[in-house]
Amino acid sequence: MSTSATATVNDTPRLMKSTGQGLFNFVTGLTILFVLWWIGIQLISSSPATAYFASFGPVPALRAMVAMWQSGLIQSAVWASGSRLGAGLLIAIAIGVPIGILMGRIQIFRELSNSPFQLMRMISPLSWEPIAVIVFAGWDSAIIFLIAIAAVWPVMFATAAGLAKVDPNWFKVARNLGASRRHMLTQIIVPAITFDVLTGIRLALGVAWIVLVPAEFFGVTSGLGYSIEDAREGLNYDQLMAMVLVIGAIGYLLDSFFVQLIKRYSWHRQT
Amino acid sequence: MSAVAAPTGSFTSLCRKILGVRRLFCGFIGLVAFFAIWELGTLLLGLNPATRTFVTFGPIPTLEAFPVLWGEGKIQAAVAASGYRMGMGMLIAIAIGVPIGIVMGRSKRFREMSNSAFQFLRMISPLAWMPLAVIVYPEWDQAIVFLIAIAAVWPIVFATAAGLSKIDPAWFKVARNLGAKTMHMLTQVILPAIAFDVLTGIRLALGVAWIVLVPAELLGVTSGLGYAIKDARETLSYNHLTVMVLVIGLIGWFLDSICVALIKRYSWHHRGHN
Repeated sequence: MSTSATATVNDTPRLMKSTGQGLFNFVTGLTILFVLWWIGIQLISSSPATAYFASFGPVPALRAMVAMWQSGLIQSAVWASGSRLGAGLLIAIAIGVPIGILMGRIQIFRELSNSPFQLMRMISPLSWEPIAVIVFAGWDSAIIFLIAIAAVWPVMFATAAGLAKVDPNWFKVARNLGASRRHMLTQIIVPAITFDVLTGIRLALGVAWIVLVPAEFFGVTSGLGYSIEDAREGLNYDQLMAMVLVIGAIGYLLDSFFVQLIKRYSWHRQT
Repeated sequence: MSAVAAPTGSFTSLCRKILGVRRLFCGFIGLVAFFAIWELGTLLLGLNPATRTFVTFGPIPTLEAFPVLWGEGKIQAAVAASGYRMGMGMLIAIAIGVPIGIVMGRSKRFREMSNSAFQFLRMISPLAWMPLAVIVYPEWDQAIVFLIAIAAVWPIVFATAAGLSKIDPAWFKVARNLGAKTMHMLTQVILPAIAFDVLTGIRLALGVAWIVLVPAELLGVTSGLGYAIKDARETLSYNHLTVMVLVIGLIGWFLDSICVALIKRYSWHHRGHN
């Protein structure tokens, strides 16, 4: 599991084998999941009382997914949700990183802000929904606000933690070498905390992903959450399961993307 | 900040007491500042005639409504209903998550096979399961407990597995040599070793469950914290709404602090007696 950058020249066969192994495990694991799902639905729908559960099965879901892709439903839902998620995360980063740096650098700010931040952090994000709906004219803005307020805390605390790890001597050396505050920021702080900020963004993404779907249940007519609610109301359970699969797949891709980024910026690798 | 043995004496304990007081004092000032900023925002709302109705979102109406709602028992009822769902969901998540995590930790084959499936299931936004849960479970309470459990199980599974991977394999060999059966292995070696990680996983799971609880209670139930918020909004009792928002924050903070204290207690840096 080590990420040593000093791979030997003749490592290609070993790397190919481990990549092949990883791919095999990946595909087999998902196949087992689908098979278990299929078996479960077969068992449940065999009884006449619960026969309608058959439309929850993997085969109807995959068929519906293909149909929804061809009609562009999946793409438009992903685009709508993605833009809300992206905007919310960007705001959370734009606010969270500076505040996190402040928290890391100024002790009195950290001590004073700790209690209110801990309190606000533990307010379940969807509790802000009634207030958000009143404050923001459009539902889109309200959803972006909800995502931002949920995502800002992991980013903030991870940034502060990252700053706490920075060796204070670096600041002294930089000051001695004549670094202005701007240099301090761009040359010392930002490179040092990148790893922790990315970890915080990964956590923030996880939280935002949980908040996004229920936020889209009401008031909007686009997005992944809306698609689920729409499928449920139309009793189109195959479309519902198709959207559940889409949500899982996209969440998995986004999370994997950040895991790769974090590995790239991990301190253990020195290129 | 390490727990290295410090010279004992009244001076050290005095310093520790002063630092504790400073933290409490800063915490208090911080909360006062929070309320002050909130009040400032409310005053600004009051200046503009278009937003004057929203003055009831302010801290003073909120603090006034607090004892009223407490006296009517509404806060207690909401907390009890939500607490039951949270508790049941978390218990189920722990009862399922810890064994699966232990199996993941012990069996490399299982871990490799199950990883992609678990990672995929984990990234399905929990509330996406809601329509399915509502159809499967006749009662809304059960559906909510299911949602909380399915959201909370993943952090616990992965934290338990991570905890197991930290255990020195030699311990298992020694235990086997000393004649330990599987039951002994579990209760004497595995569980004490992973307690710290499992508690960390429970803390994360609690955070996730706390996010899921409120939207789950916005539909179909007539009790609980989420419902109380929706009810306050529909009756335009904005000060009741903010009371509930604060209650949610306070309880969440309280639960999280308990987890943090438990984690410190079972941290490897403290061994039994301090």
